[in-house]
Amino acid sequence: MEPLIGAPVARPDALAKVTGAARYPGDLDRPGTLHLKVVFAGRPHARIVGLDVTAAEAVPGVVAVLTAADVPHNAYGLVEADQPVLCGDVVRFVGDRVALVAAESQAAAEAGARLVRVVYDDLPVVSDPRAALEPGAPLVHAGRASNLVAHVPIRKGDAAAALAAADVVLEGEFRTSWQEHAFLQPEAGLAYIDEQGRVVVETAGQWLHEDRRQIAEVLGLPEEQVVVRYVAIGGAFGGREDLSVQHLLALAAWRLRRPVKIVWEREESMVGHHKRHPVQIRCTWGATRAGKIVAVRAEALADGGAYASTSQEVLKCIALFASGCYDVDHIHVDAYAVYTNNVPAGAFRGFGAPQAQFASESMVTRLAHALGMDPVAIRRINLYREGSIEPTQHPLPPGVSVRECLEACVERLAQELGGQENEAARRGPGDGERIPVPPALSWPPGHPIAAAHGPQPTALKRGWGIACGIKNLGYSFGFPEQATASVALHGGATIEHAELRIGAADVGQGVHLILRQIVAETLGVPLDVVRIIADDSAEAPNAGSASASRLTIMAGRAAHDAAAAALRLWREEEERPARATVQYCPPATTPLDPLTTAGRPNYAYGYAAQAVEVEVDTATGQVRVLRVISAHDVGRAVNRQQLEGQIEGGVAQALGYTLMEQFQMRDGRVLTPGFSTYLLPTILDTPPEIIPVVLELADPEGPYGARGVAELPLVPFAPAVAAAIHAATGVWVSDLPFTPERVLDAIAHFRQPRSRASEAGASGSVPPAAHTM
Amino acid sequence: MIPSAFDFYAPRTLDEAIALLAEHGDEAKVLAGGQSLIPAMRFRLAAPAVLVDINGIGGLDGLRETNGHLAIGALTREAALEEYTFIRERYPLLADAAHVIADPLVRNRATVGGNLAHADPANDHPAVMLAYGAELAAHGPRGARTIPIDDFFTGMFSTSLEPDELLTEIRIPRPGPGSGGAYLKVERKVGDYAISAVAVQLTMDGPTIRTIRIALTNVSPTPIRAEEAERILTGQTLTDATLEAAGQAAAAACDPSADLRGSIEYKRDLTRVLVKRAVRRAAERATK
Repeated sequence: MEPLIGAPVARPDALAKVTGAARYPGDLDRPGTLHLKVVFAGRPHARIVGLDVTAAEAVPGVVAVLTAADVPHNAYGLVEADQPVLCGDVVRFVGDRVALVAAESQAAAEAGARLVRVVYDDLPVVSDPRAALEPGAPLVHAGRASNLVAHVPIRKGDAAAALAAADVVLEGEFRTSWQEHAFLQPEAGLAYIDEQGRVVVETAGQWLHEDRRQIAEVLGLPEEQVVVRYVAIGGAFGGREDLSVQHLLALAAWRLRRPVKIVWEREESMVGHHKRHPVQIRCTWGATRAGKIVAVRAEALADGGAYASTSQEVLKCIALFASGCYDVDHIHVDAYAVYTNNVPAGAFRGFGAPQAQFASESMVTRLAHALGMDPVAIRRINLYREGSIEPTQHPLPPGVSVRECLEACVERLAQELGGQENEAARRGPGDGERIPVPPALSWPPGHPIAAAHGPQPTALKRGWGIACGIKNLGYSFGFPEQATASVALHGGATIEHAELRIGAADVGQGVHLILRQIVAETLGVPLDVVRIIADDSAEAPNAGSASASRLTIMAGRAAHDAAAAALRLWREEEERPARATVQYCPPATTPLDPLTTAGRPNYAYGYAAQAVEVEVDTATGQVRVLRVISAHDVGRAVNRQQLEGQIEGGVAQALGYTLMEQFQMRDGRVLTPGFSTYLLPTILDTPPEIIPVVLELADPEGPYGARGVAELPLVPFAPAVAAAIHAATGVWVSDLPFTPERVLDAIAHFRQPRSRASEAGASGSVPPAAHTM
Repeated sequence: MIPSAFDFYAPRTLDEAIALLAEHGDEAKVLAGGQSLIPAMRFRLAAPAVLVDINGIGGLDGLRETNGHLAIGALTREAALEEYTFIRERYPLLADAAHVIADPLVRNRATVGGNLAHADPANDHPAVMLAYGAELAAHGPRGARTIPIDDFFTGMFSTSLEPDELLTEIRIPRPGPGSGGAYLKVERKVGDYAISAVAVQLTMDGPTIRTIRIALTNVSPTPIRAEEAERILTGQTLTDATLEAAGQAAAAACDPSADLRGSIEYKRDLTRVLVKRAVRRAAERATK
């Protein structure tokens, strides 16, 4: 039989998804279902001084209006339960939920929601994270000592002394923007009470059992009385880690004893769920003349918005990755997350790593320039290697492959450049030095890029940038980590069918197929013998969340081990059916010691390196990404097609984050609540060439050596683009996203108008035919 | 959101359509491609009581080139403009614009007439047709008339069409020898409106610009011509100095507002750069 691991097996759910046959949460219905509509606060900070639902209840078809008084336990949260299900006294951001209208029709629910009268007494708005920390700043959560959500310090060695002794010291300041997950399927679902009296919520999410835990807590029920089921999930990216509509559905079904459904509109989704944290990073890096990085000092300030969400955990990643993937002896990091009256920030693919490493990778390249070194050479000196000591003073878990990723990326880059001397292109100009034109890359005749754009005016400059990346796989800092799977083998002489039970969410990444491939390979049976039950909290054991790039390594390992255990029972004990349940626990992690900041933060990491070619229009500030080389160590590619798809999708999302996605708020109000204002790249905006480079250096823990990759394409991309823009133009941009206006401002300081001879094309005068445009 | 309720008519002839418009007056909106109207209705920015769907009327679409002009039926889909070699060869300004209007999906439905009659200063055809000096044919209860493009746009989202008049055809004067044109647009992503865009149509007499029209997209409350820039360039040869002067004149002529697309300063500077580039590209095409 052909090996199943590594085979590009087609997705079994693909056809239904492209034909529209797949059932998403918004497609669910039952007889007699009520429609729900949320009444949002619509204001960033206010005390509720009056709430009158009589007019809403009088609307024909409206069955009930639920408010805070109807919630048994009115607080929830993934890490800290600081968010009301329905606000009773204070609203803290525009997307806070104040009431829930249930009606016989969607129109009646909407009409009722418009008639819920809330009288507010506005409170001072805290919208700037730095101002939020000032003494006397208005408190987002009254009763707390300050707006600080968390402070994560990391101390290693003596950074002050090392910086004082360093040959070169550079300072940098970086800002990143909120990012919206923008999954295709807005939040939706259906809930009802089943024959056993359980409240059943059918929806989309990232972790069945955590959704169940939080819903049970809100309703004051034992977890067994709550069932969470997932149908087809239209993307997640971390945006479904926090509860959005799940607990509202459960509350209404439980209170009203009738089926209820909700489908959020896009604007409700945009305002109603958390975002990627905007982070301000100030840092100082020091190195020796020979290029050894000796010290990193960094301060990071993350806007956590109105509720904690996963801010504390994201913040730990930001602190840990402030020094990137580099072996540095002296580190002094302080990372802060603060409450504001902005939309909450939480999990988003990369979980703090993209923000932290935008700064760290940019600083490493700047150091190289300051030292007159090649950016690749300085990385060769300083990158993590097997046994390197982390900022938290413990050795890295084995399987450190960032150097191999870099070398594979550089090798592929050399191929792309066709053997031409490319050192200058990669290095770019030194700091302060202006070498505006890197060696021109000539497109062969007929090449789509050449054909599409023709000869270019000289205002267009091209350059390559390179960056590396690291991201933990799985939960960190002592957060309990496990995945459980059950396998049952049925048949007589041969295994006729195998049933895998594992509560792992297929958010679109294709993990269900990956798990079936692993089990089929382990059992030595064809793929279609293996059936998976993964979408019901009452039927499948807890395998943890679809997050932290962890399901292939964690759920994959649990599925593998359960399959192997069941196969042993089948063969050695001749059990029919043969059943085995295995809980896989990886090597333990620890919280950081509060005094020394030492600890073992993670049990596994993923590594990546990217090279990006950009073309910058130096007269308009537009940046086009032309080619991307994305090198990843995946341990083992379980499904090559899905892997490459995930890398390409990740690069597209990273491109949006880097160049155009800018969720904007002013004084706590959302300026970009839809896709006409919040810009997502389309296929026509994505780079014409994305070149995945896949390394398979087996991970010691992963099934068949596989490790996670999902978040990694997001990590090096922005700093690689920043370096490429610098190579092309000689200027650094350090505020994400790199909008044309920001780039032009960096290049030309255009606000003082002056003529720039090259911007209209070639300089010179008549006749026009002599010009190349 | 779901649009408010409306009555829907699908006339089969021009006369029926005009009669419906005459009957319903300001209450009625014409539905052509629907790529601006339907979103506006869904956002409840527009709530017409009556929709007159003209898609079933024969003879309102298609391209026809005569000795004097190119006639574009008002119902011609944007995507059609991309299909013809003669457009690329003889109407490069129009061809440039055809590739950057919205995105390919929108272009399959959106119409040239709708893009003009909607009179959104962010739309691309208004500047293109201003640069061409096009004429618009309109039909109403009092018969047919032609409207010079310079008299067409009367304000943001308003035109000199009467409520009971239907735009039926756009006539672009056929460019003579030595003509060239170009449309340059900077957008934040494919499918977004322009931060700024510039349309240029000119004729060259050797190295000298004999005639030139320049129009600007989305940098004023209405589509505008950059007349001072035109004056600076007319009769001149292309030098850095004249181009810069024209670019600055256009930047001064526009009246952009600061929004999520950019600051006023950026939009002006972008317009200056695009005017210089578009004039140079048009001139180069003219002499090919």
